[in-house]
Amino acid sequence: MASNEQPNSVHHHSSLQKKIKLKQERRQHNVSFVMMILLTIVAFAAIASDAISNSVAILFIIVLAGVQVFFQLYIWMHLGHKGHEFPMWGIASGLLIALITVGTLVGLIW
Amino acid sequence: MDVGERLTDQNFPESPEKATLEGKNKFLGFWLFLGGETVLFATLFGTYLGLRNSFGKGPEASEIFQLPMVFAATIILLTSSLTSVYAVLALKENRVKQMRRWFFITLLLGLSFLGLEIYEFVEYVHEGHTFTSGAFGSAFYTLVGFHGGHVLFGCLWITALLVRNSGRGLTLYNAPKYYLFALYWHFVDVVWVFIFTVVYLMGKVG
Repeated sequence: MASNEQPNSVHHHSSLQKKIKLKQERRQHNVSFVMMILLTIVAFAAIASDAISNSVAILFIIVLAGVQVFFQLYIWMHLGHKGHEFPMWGIASGLLIALITVGTLVGLIW
Repeated sequence: MDVGERLTDQNFPESPEKATLEGKNKFLGFWLFLGGETVLFATLFGTYLGLRNSFGKGPEASEIFQLPMVFAATIILLTSSLTSVYAVLALKENRVKQMRRWFFITLLLGLSFLGLEIYEFVEYVHEGHTFTSGAFGSAFYTLVGFHGGHVLFGCLWITALLVRNSGRGLTLYNAPKYYLFALYWHFVDVVWVFIFTVVYLMGKVG
Protein backbone atom coordinates (compact mmCIF):
# COMPACT_ATOMS: atom_id res chain seq x y z
CA MET A 1 0.00 0.00 0.00
CA ALA A 2 2.51 2.56 -1.15
CA SER A 3 -0.10 4.91 -2.59
CA ASN A 4 -1.97 5.25 0.66
CA GLU A 5 -1.74 9.03 0.94
CA GLN A 6 -5.18 9.89 2.22
CA PRO A 7 -5.38 13.02 4.31
CA ASN A 8 -5.59 12.15 7.98
CA SER A 9 -9.04 13.61 8.49
CA VAL A 10 -10.52 11.45 5.76
CA HIS A 11 -8.99 8.39 7.33
CA HIS A 12 -10.45 9.25 10.71
CA HIS A 13 -13.81 9.90 9.16
CA SER A 14 -13.96 6.53 7.39
CA SER A 15 -12.72 4.67 10.45
CA LEU A 16 -15.47 6.30 12.49
CA GLN A 17 -18.04 5.17 9.92
CA LYS A 18 -16.60 1.69 10.07
CA LYS A 19 -16.86 1.69 13.86
CA ILE A 20 -20.50 2.71 13.73
CA LYS A 21 -21.19 -0.01 11.15
CA LEU A 22 -19.53 -2.67 13.28
CA LYS A 23 -21.40 -1.51 16.35
CA GLN A 24 -24.70 -1.86 14.49
CA GLU A 25 -23.62 -5.28 13.31
CA ARG A 26 -22.82 -6.35 16.86
CA ARG A 27 -26.27 -5.29 17.99
CA GLN A 28 -27.84 -7.25 15.11
CA HIS A 29 -25.89 -10.33 16.13
CA ASN A 30 -27.01 -10.01 19.75
CA VAL A 31 -30.64 -9.56 18.73
CA SER A 32 -30.56 -12.60 16.48
CA PHE A 33 -28.96 -14.66 19.25
CA VAL A 34 -31.79 -13.78 21.64
CA MET A 35 -34.33 -14.48 18.90
CA MET A 36 -32.84 -17.91 18.19
CA ILE A 37 -32.82 -18.82 21.88
CA LEU A 38 -36.49 -17.80 22.08
CA LEU A 39 -37.36 -19.79 18.93
CA THR A 40 -35.62 -22.83 20.42
CA ILE A 41 -37.51 -22.52 23.69
CA VAL A 42 -40.83 -22.10 21.84
CA ALA A 43 -40.10 -25.20 19.73
CA PHE A 44 -39.32 -27.34 22.78
CA ALA A 45 -42.37 -25.96 24.63
CA ALA A 46 -44.66 -26.71 21.66
CA ILE A 47 -43.63 -30.36 21.78
CA ALA A 48 -43.69 -30.64 25.59
CA SER A 49 -47.15 -29.10 25.90
CA ASP A 50 -50.28 -31.20 25.46
CA ALA A 51 -52.37 -28.22 24.38
CA ILE A 52 -51.19 -28.40 20.76
CA SER A 53 -51.97 -31.45 18.63
CA ASN A 54 -48.93 -33.34 17.42
CA SER A 55 -49.34 -32.72 13.70
CA VAL A 56 -49.78 -28.99 14.21
CA ALA A 57 -46.78 -28.93 16.56
CA ILE A 58 -44.58 -30.69 13.96
CA LEU A 59 -45.54 -28.22 11.24
CA PHE A 60 -44.98 -25.36 13.65
CA ILE A 61 -41.47 -26.41 14.74
CA ILE A 62 -40.38 -26.96 11.13
CA VAL A 63 -41.41 -23.38 10.36
CA LEU A 64 -39.46 -22.22 13.44
CA ALA A 65 -36.38 -24.11 12.18
CA GLY A 66 -36.74 -22.31 8.85
CA VAL A 67 -36.75 -18.95 10.62
CA GLN A 68 -33.61 -19.90 12.56
CA VAL A 69 -31.84 -20.84 9.33
CA PHE A 70 -32.70 -17.41 7.96
CA PHE A 71 -31.08 -15.75 10.98
CA GLN A 72 -27.96 -17.88 10.69
CA LEU A 73 -27.48 -17.41 6.95
CA TYR A 74 -28.48 -13.78 6.61
CA ILE A 75 -27.16 -12.26 9.79
CA TRP A 76 -24.42 -14.48 11.22
CA MET A 77 -23.04 -15.67 7.89
CA HIS A 78 -23.57 -12.22 6.29
CA LEU A 79 -25.36 -13.63 3.24
CA GLY A 80 -27.32 -10.38 2.97
CA HIS A 81 -24.18 -8.24 2.68
CA LYS A 82 -23.01 -7.01 -0.69
CA GLY A 83 -20.63 -9.25 -2.61
CA HIS A 84 -22.61 -12.38 -1.73
CA GLU A 85 -24.41 -12.86 -5.06
CA PHE A 86 -22.54 -15.99 -6.12
CA PRO A 87 -22.55 -17.54 -2.63
CA MET A 88 -26.30 -16.96 -2.67
CA TRP A 89 -26.60 -18.98 -5.88
CA GLY A 90 -24.44 -21.75 -4.41
CA ILE A 91 -26.40 -22.11 -1.21
CA ALA A 92 -29.79 -21.58 -2.90
CA SER A 93 -29.17 -24.35 -5.45
CA GLY A 94 -27.91 -26.53 -2.59
CA LEU A 95 -31.13 -25.93 -0.67
CA LEU A 96 -33.25 -26.64 -3.76
CA ILE A 97 -31.54 -29.98 -4.43
CA ALA A 98 -31.71 -30.73 -0.70
CA LEU A 99 -35.47 -30.22 -0.69
CA ILE A 100 -35.93 -32.45 -3.76
CA THR A 101 -33.66 -35.09 -2.19
CA VAL A 102 -35.56 -35.20 1.09
CA GLY A 103 -38.91 -35.32 -0.72
CA THR A 104 -37.77 -38.11 -3.02
CA LEU A 105 -36.20 -40.25 -0.32
CA VAL A 106 -39.14 -39.94 2.04
CA GLY A 107 -41.49 -40.70 -0.84
CA LEU A 108 -39.47 -43.75 -1.90
CA ILE A 109 -39.18 -45.32 1.54
CA TRP A 110 -42.75 -44.55 2.61
CA MET B 1 1.36 -5.39 0.16
CA ASP B 2 2.82 -8.79 0.95
CA VAL B 3 0.18 -11.32 2.03
CA GLY B 4 2.29 -12.34 5.02
CA GLU B 5 2.70 -8.80 6.28
CA ARG B 6 1.05 -8.02 9.59
CA LEU B 7 -1.98 -5.77 9.06
CA THR B 8 -2.02 -2.47 10.89
CA ASP B 9 -4.98 -0.23 11.66
CA GLN B 10 -3.79 2.09 8.88
CA ASN B 11 -3.64 -0.41 6.01
CA PHE B 12 -6.47 -2.66 7.21
CA PRO B 13 -8.81 -3.40 4.26
CA GLU B 14 -12.56 -3.36 4.62
CA SER B 15 -12.87 -7.12 4.09
CA PRO B 16 -9.47 -8.70 4.84
CA GLU B 17 -10.92 -12.13 4.03
CA LYS B 18 -11.61 -11.04 0.44
CA ALA B 19 -8.75 -8.62 -0.18
CA THR B 20 -6.65 -11.06 -2.23
CA LEU B 21 -7.56 -13.24 -5.21
CA GLU B 22 -6.84 -16.32 -3.13
CA GLY B 23 -9.12 -15.03 -0.40
CA LYS B 24 -11.90 -14.33 -2.91
CA ASN B 25 -11.56 -17.80 -4.41
CA LYS B 26 -11.60 -19.47 -1.02
CA PHE B 27 -14.66 -17.47 0.00
CA LEU B 28 -16.65 -18.43 -3.10
CA GLY B 29 -15.40 -22.01 -3.12
CA PHE B 30 -16.34 -22.46 0.51
CA TRP B 31 -19.88 -21.25 -0.04
CA LEU B 32 -20.25 -23.70 -2.94
CA PHE B 33 -18.88 -26.43 -0.68
CA LEU B 34 -21.53 -25.54 1.90
CA GLY B 35 -24.18 -25.86 -0.83
CA GLY B 36 -22.87 -29.38 -1.47
CA GLU B 37 -22.82 -30.16 2.25
CA THR B 38 -26.48 -29.15 2.40
CA VAL B 39 -27.26 -31.86 -0.15
CA LEU B 40 -25.13 -34.41 1.72
CA PHE B 41 -27.09 -33.82 4.91
CA ALA B 42 -30.34 -33.82 2.93
CA THR B 43 -29.69 -37.42 1.85
CA LEU B 44 -29.18 -38.41 5.50
CA PHE B 45 -32.25 -36.48 6.66
CA GLY B 46 -34.40 -37.98 3.90
CA THR B 47 -33.29 -41.50 4.80
CA TYR B 48 -33.88 -40.86 8.49
CA LEU B 49 -37.38 -39.47 7.86
CA GLY B 50 -38.27 -42.55 5.87
CA LEU B 51 -36.94 -45.01 8.45
CA ARG B 52 -37.61 -43.22 11.70
CA ASN B 53 -40.46 -45.49 12.74
CA SER B 54 -38.76 -48.79 11.83
CA PHE B 55 -37.47 -49.51 15.32
CA GLY B 56 -36.70 -53.21 14.81
CA LYS B 57 -35.39 -54.79 18.01
CA GLY B 58 -34.47 -51.46 19.58
CA PRO B 59 -36.53 -49.16 21.81
CA GLU B 60 -38.83 -46.49 20.37
CA ALA B 61 -37.56 -42.98 19.81
CA SER B 62 -39.99 -41.38 22.26
CA GLU B 63 -38.82 -43.74 25.03
CA ILE B 64 -35.12 -42.95 24.84
CA PHE B 65 -34.81 -39.28 23.82
CA GLN B 66 -34.09 -37.00 26.77
CA LEU B 67 -35.23 -33.48 25.87
CA PRO B 68 -33.36 -31.63 28.69
CA MET B 69 -30.03 -32.97 27.44
CA VAL B 70 -30.87 -32.14 23.82
CA PHE B 71 -31.91 -28.66 24.90
CA ALA B 72 -28.59 -28.16 26.71
CA ALA B 73 -26.67 -29.33 23.64
CA THR B 74 -28.69 -26.93 21.46
CA ILE B 75 -27.96 -23.94 23.68
CA ILE B 76 -24.24 -24.84 23.84
CA LEU B 77 -23.96 -25.01 20.05
CA LEU B 78 -26.01 -21.85 19.54
CA THR B 79 -23.79 -19.96 22.00
CA SER B 80 -20.68 -21.24 20.26
CA SER B 81 -22.08 -19.88 17.00
CA LEU B 82 -22.44 -16.48 18.71
CA THR B 83 -18.88 -16.55 20.04
CA SER B 84 -17.55 -17.30 16.56
CA VAL B 85 -19.52 -14.31 15.26
CA TYR B 86 -17.86 -12.17 17.96
CA ALA B 87 -14.52 -13.52 16.77
CA VAL B 88 -15.29 -12.39 13.21
CA LEU B 89 -16.27 -8.94 14.50
CA ALA B 90 -12.93 -8.73 16.33
CA LEU B 91 -11.21 -9.84 13.11
CA LYS B 92 -12.81 -6.94 11.26
CA GLU B 93 -11.54 -4.57 13.97
CA ASN B 94 -8.01 -6.04 13.74
CA ARG B 95 -8.09 -7.07 17.41
CA VAL B 96 -6.26 -10.32 17.09
CA LYS B 97 -6.07 -11.23 20.79
CA GLN B 98 -9.78 -10.74 21.26
CA MET B 99 -10.48 -12.75 18.11
CA ARG B 100 -8.31 -15.65 19.30
CA ARG B 101 -10.01 -15.57 22.71
CA TRP B 102 -13.47 -15.83 21.15
CA PHE B 103 -12.36 -18.67 18.87
CA PHE B 104 -10.88 -20.45 21.88
CA ILE B 105 -14.22 -20.17 23.72
CA THR B 106 -15.91 -21.50 20.56
CA LEU B 107 -13.56 -24.47 20.67
CA LEU B 108 -14.33 -25.17 24.35
CA LEU B 109 -18.08 -25.02 23.66
CA GLY B 110 -17.64 -27.34 20.68
CA LEU B 111 -15.76 -29.83 22.83
CA SER B 112 -18.43 -29.75 25.55
CA PHE B 113 -21.08 -30.38 22.89
CA LEU B 114 -19.09 -33.41 21.73
CA GLY B 115 -18.72 -34.66 25.32
CA LEU B 116 -22.48 -34.41 25.80
CA GLU B 117 -23.12 -36.27 22.55
CA ILE B 118 -20.73 -39.09 23.43
CA TYR B 119 -22.37 -39.43 26.85
CA GLU B 120 -25.78 -39.52 25.13
CA PHE B 121 -24.73 -42.24 22.66
CA VAL B 122 -23.27 -44.39 25.46
CA GLU B 123 -26.58 -44.11 27.35
CA TYR B 124 -28.54 -45.13 24.26
CA VAL B 125 -26.36 -48.16 23.59
CA HIS B 126 -26.98 -49.30 27.18
CA GLU B 127 -30.70 -49.04 26.52
CA GLY B 128 -30.44 -51.22 23.41
CA HIS B 129 -30.55 -48.43 20.81
CA THR B 130 -27.54 -49.32 18.65
CA PHE B 131 -26.43 -48.98 15.05
CA THR B 132 -27.70 -52.50 14.28
CA SER B 133 -30.84 -52.61 16.45
CA GLY B 134 -33.04 -51.53 13.55
CA ALA B 135 -33.32 -49.20 10.56
CA PHE B 136 -34.12 -46.36 12.97
CA GLY B 137 -30.85 -46.97 14.83
CA SER B 138 -28.78 -47.06 11.63
CA ALA B 139 -30.35 -43.89 10.25
CA PHE B 140 -30.09 -42.10 13.60
CA TYR B 141 -26.41 -42.81 14.22
CA THR B 142 -25.49 -42.07 10.59
CA LEU B 143 -27.21 -38.68 10.62
CA VAL B 144 -26.39 -37.50 14.15
CA GLY B 145 -22.94 -39.10 14.01
CA PHE B 146 -22.15 -37.34 10.74
CA HIS B 147 -23.05 -34.05 12.37
CA GLY B 148 -20.92 -34.92 15.41
CA GLY B 149 -18.09 -35.74 13.02
CA HIS B 150 -18.43 -32.26 11.56
CA VAL B 151 -18.21 -30.74 15.04
CA LEU B 152 -15.10 -32.82 15.74
CA PHE B 153 -13.55 -31.73 12.45
CA GLY B 154 -14.33 -28.09 13.30
CA CYS B 155 -12.63 -28.47 16.70
CA LEU B 156 -9.50 -29.89 15.05
CA TRP B 157 -9.60 -27.16 12.40
CA ILE B 158 -9.74 -24.23 14.82
CA THR B 159 -7.13 -25.87 17.07
CA ALA B 160 -4.77 -26.11 14.08
CA LEU B 161 -5.48 -22.49 13.10
CA LEU B 162 -4.90 -21.17 16.62
CA VAL B 163 -1.71 -23.17 17.12
CA ARG B 164 -0.28 -22.38 13.69
CA ASN B 165 -0.96 -18.66 14.01
CA SER B 166 -0.09 -18.22 17.68
CA GLY B 167 1.99 -15.11 18.16
CA ARG B 168 1.13 -13.89 14.68
CA GLY B 169 -1.00 -10.91 13.85
CA LEU B 170 -3.68 -10.85 11.22
CA THR B 171 -2.40 -10.99 7.65
CA LEU B 172 -4.11 -11.19 4.29
CA TYR B 173 -2.96 -14.82 4.32
CA ASN B 174 -4.58 -15.98 7.55
CA ALA B 175 -7.65 -13.71 7.69
CA PRO B 176 -9.58 -15.80 5.07
CA LYS B 177 -8.75 -18.95 7.02
CA TYR B 178 -10.25 -17.64 10.25
CA TYR B 179 -13.26 -16.24 8.41
CA LEU B 180 -14.04 -19.52 6.63
CA PHE B 181 -13.84 -21.46 9.87
CA ALA B 182 -16.55 -19.19 11.30
CA LEU B 183 -18.74 -19.84 8.22
CA TYR B 184 -18.26 -23.59 8.66
CA TRP B 185 -19.14 -23.38 12.32
CA HIS B 186 -22.39 -21.53 11.60
CA PHE B 187 -23.26 -24.15 9.01
CA VAL B 188 -22.73 -26.93 11.55
CA ASP B 189 -25.14 -25.09 13.85
CA VAL B 190 -27.69 -24.76 11.02
CA VAL B 191 -27.62 -28.54 10.56
CA TRP B 192 -28.11 -29.02 14.30
CA VAL B 193 -31.24 -26.82 14.21
CA PHE B 194 -32.77 -29.40 11.86
CA ILE B 195 -31.47 -32.34 13.88
CA PHE B 196 -33.06 -31.16 17.11
CA THR B 197 -36.28 -30.36 15.24
CA VAL B 198 -36.61 -33.37 12.95
CA VAL B 199 -34.88 -36.06 15.01
CA TYR B 200 -35.48 -35.22 18.66
CA LEU B 201 -38.61 -33.10 18.82
CA MET B 202 -40.47 -35.03 16.09
CA GLY B 203 -39.23 -38.30 17.61
CA LYS B 204 -40.80 -37.33 20.91
CA VAL B 205 -44.29 -36.95 19.41
CA GLY B 206 -44.03 -39.78 16.89
